[in-house]
Amino acid sequence: MRHYEIVFLVHPDQSEQVPAMVERYRGMISAGGGTVHRLEDWGRRQLTFPIAKVHKAHYVLLNIECDQKTLAELTGAFRFSDAVLRHLVVNMDEAVTEPSPMAKAAQEEKEGGPRRSRDDSPFASDDDDMGVNA
Amino acid sequence: MKEDKPRRSGPGGAGGGGGGGGGNRSFSRRRKFCRFTAEGVKQIDYKDLGTLKQYITETGKIVPSRITGTKAFYQRQLSSAIKRARYLALLPYTDQH
Repeated sequence: MRHYEIVFLVHPDQSEQVPAMVERYRGMISAGGGTVHRLEDWGRRQLTFPIAKVHKAHYVLLNIECDQKTLAELTGAFRFSDAVLRHLVVNMDEAVTEPSPMAKAAQEEKEGGPRRSRDDSPFASDDDDMGVNA
Repeated sequence: MKEDKPRRSGPGGAGGGGGGGGGNRSFSRRRKFCRFTAEGVKQIDYKDLGTLKQYITETGKIVPSRITGTKAFYQRQLSSAIKRARYLALLPYTDQH
């Protein structure tokens, strides 16, 4: 059994079907003896470039532990589903359960004003403190 | 972004790249440092767009580590993280989309 992180993009018109799809995939995983460690629904997000002539997509993140046969089944399901625009599978070393940066951002927005703590980049700033010259 | 450090083309002694450079110029520039080393990041996350966006240019290119000062270990992680984020349309490949 290995750990995988899966992100898939669902066509915005099929957005309502996402819970059903997730349930189906969850069923496939548990049928193969695997477990779902993290499930996040990032909702409909703006794409930075159009994919299949759509500008928005519904993102779902899954952290799972399953065997290769189950994963092959899952990726097969992604490929043959017309609703799934794109999917990414990343091998992970361990189960990740804490919320991802995306989910955290969504949470913060819900709770109150989004506070930006670090907007200074480590480069591209010419406002040096002229310590040597002073 | 423009580098205004003077480029030396002559055979002068400055062989190793690090720091130093033009002696006559008296302005001091902020020291580059690797943020990931400083923070002890375990793995750069392709989902952390706030961080990744600091390391791409306005045209969507990955900023070289010689500009940012990112250590090679993290620059490799950073580049694959940015490429994953691009595949998922979280970051642009270019500004001409």
